[in-house]
Amino acid sequence: MTYHTLLLILVAAAAVAAVMARNLLLSAIMLALVSVGASLVLFDFQAPWAAVFELSVCAGLITVLFVSAVSLIRHEESKVAENRARFYAMPLVMGIVAIAAWFYAVPYFESLENWARLGGRADTLGTVIWDIRRLDLLGQVSMLAAGVFVVNSMFPRRKKQK
Amino acid sequence: MTTSLLAYLLIPLFTAILIPFAAKTRRKLADVLANVTLLAGLLNISFILFNPANIALSFSNITEDGFALLMIFIIYLVALCITFFSSYFIGDDSKVNRVPYYSLIMTSVSAMCGIVTTGDFFTLYIFVEVLAVTSFALIASDESGKGLEGAIKYFLLTFPASLFILFGIAFLMLTAGTFSFESIKIIIASGIPAGAVVFSLSLILLGFLIKSGVVPFHAWTPDAYEGAYAPVSAYLAGIVTKISGVYAVIKISMMLRLFEIKAYHTAEILMFLGMLSIAVGALAALRQKELKRMLAFSSISQIGYIILAAGMGTPLAILGAIFHLVNHATFKTVLFLNSASLEKGAGTSDMRKLGGMEHAMPWTSWTSIVALLATAGVPPLSGFWSKLIIIIALWDGGAKTYAVLALLFSVVTLAYFMVMQKKIFFGKPTETSRNAREVRPAMLAPVVVMCLLIAALGVFFPYIYSYLVETIAARIIL
Amino acid sequence: MINSFSMDWYFITLIFFAGMYCMLVSRNLLRQFIGLEIMSKSCLLGVISVGAKTGNLALAQALIITMIVIEVVVVAAGLSLLVKNYRITNSVDVWSLNNLRG
Repeated sequence: MTYHTLLLILVAAAAVAAVMARNLLLSAIMLALVSVGASLVLFDFQAPWAAVFELSVCAGLITVLFVSAVSLIRHEESKVAENRARFYAMPLVMGIVAIAAWFYAVPYFESLENWARLGGRADTLGTVIWDIRRLDLLGQVSMLAAGVFVVNSMFPRRKKQK
Repeated sequence: MTTSLLAYLLIPLFTAILIPFAAKTRRKLADVLANVTLLAGLLNISFILFNPANIALSFSNITEDGFALLMIFIIYLVALCITFFSSYFIGDDSKVNRVPYYSLIMTSVSAMCGIVTTGDFFTLYIFVEVLAVTSFALIASDESGKGLEGAIKYFLLTFPASLFILFGIAFLMLTAGTFSFESIKIIIASGIPAGAVVFSLSLILLGFLIKSGVVPFHAWTPDAYEGAYAPVSAYLAGIVTKISGVYAVIKISMMLRLFEIKAYHTAEILMFLGMLSIAVGALAALRQKELKRMLAFSSISQIGYIILAAGMGTPLAILGAIFHLVNHATFKTVLFLNSASLEKGAGTSDMRKLGGMEHAMPWTSWTSIVALLATAGVPPLSGFWSKLIIIIALWDGGAKTYAVLALLFSVVTLAYFMVMQKKIFFGKPTETSRNAREVRPAMLAPVVVMCLLIAALGVFFPYIYSYLVETIAARIIL
Repeated sequence: MINSFSMDWYFITLIFFAGMYCMLVSRNLLRQFIGLEIMSKSCLLGVISVGAKTGNLALAQALIITMIVIEVVVVAAGLSLLVKNYRITNSVDVWSLNNLRG
């Protein structure tokens, strides 16, 4: 098995562990592990910029957001009775899906490959972002502005305590 | 995308960023800034659309896409009505923060203009996400439990739809190598076998159908419309759900008809889902007791008409779909703003408690009656013309069963609305309506303007028809 | 052995299904968000796999960077909704979101 496949198995295993984890904090840390694994996969695909971005933003920022959210709702966590039986049944379900996908999905994707249309241009990342897809930058700016306004609207600064 | 239309996107964004700084000390300045910006944009686009010189030349000198101009006009109009109404509706309500509220509305107007003027699938996806994020926060602006519940359901049920759209975009990159609409049309027209491109377009279509609230993916729609803050449900029903979901469905179906044979199944499924939405929406609206929920199901039904026409795919059907989209935006804005006025004036929107409102709140009642008649398709209002075009397009295109069923459900809607408005507006006055008072004239102004527009679109229909034919239908053919 | 593209997509299907299972089965809202995040990661891997196959890696990287920005803002918005809901109704149970039945 190649290094590539091993990395993907790591990501899949971390995802299953994140679903099956008993308490939410462990789940959030397993999600960080999924992000790290995905970042390593991106490095292996010769996509260094995306990998660095993913590592710093997803494995860092999103994990911090999740951990802080978990700590804010920690008090209620014990009161929600989850049906653990469904979570323990997960490896069985994943096994069934893995075997079914091996026989049905893989030939489908192999046939899809024949339709692949190879791109001819070898641009650098800078050219693509700045010249070709400049409007996406405007979209990202408005997305960040919208995020700021959303958080500002949800958690206002009040003069007196609620 | 032409650079001249970029201004419609940039100016609301600029105002959105300006509002928190400008209104730090004087809160009311936020209202004024928002309204003035939207009014300026509206006057600008009306100048392009209604210019007598353009009408005389039968719009041949407008090189931009006629569909995009019409959409920008209706976006600015609905957003202006909402901001004008909100500045009087919020009043001294301390739970709603004015400044982020107006900033969010401005950002969503900018995102919607981005959606309708772009020519590229990935840019479309980005702006749809911006619109969705601003909608979550707007729905929950008044911090009530219902609002947050509606927002969480909207979030949980439409975010997987974005993931489907992304998978579709990934497959599109694999099979077509490009995302822009023009390049995809050229690839299709060049005659290569296109099964995989249809597959990727179908995935994207599925994502947008979930976002627009057709049956069977409609679970979030009644809760989001009912629980939202009152002007925001008018905003959502009036324009946001349409631009974020139905617009892309119409654009993709304009592309699908070029495939002729391969996309036949996709078009069939689209028409079936449209018919199902009409049926479920009309029948479920009969059983509702609360006004906003009934209006939400009626929205689902009317969006079904648009999806049905888009699935048909002939130029006349697409024309009918676009015109019905514009009309439905006007109807639902009036109805939801009136239900907000009812909440403010009478204190409740439960239909069992309201009766004989015509004496207590005459302006609200009469404008609601006009909008309800237009939704049901009564001539000479605009709803009649758009439904007529859709039914004729279905009949001509060969889907005779669908045409008959669409006509049947239109009659059902008409019957139900007649019964309902007789009870609410002309029946015996109940306790609640005795204590109700009419709302301020300033809050009635946007509703009256919209009603005049409904009547004008119906009466001046030949001009509208010529505009639609020349700028949209004649340019669809590749 | 089968070639790399199908192998990648096999794992992407598995990861997507794991995330979807998490969303369907769990009762805690935060766990459903974690399921959504896992599904998003599978989308990213899908885009880069297609990019590597067709050879335009630069376009795929630009797409991925934009998708990550969008994902961060959406997660921030979702979590703030969750915390606000917790402050008002004091629960993170999905089954308790049933005040709007009708």
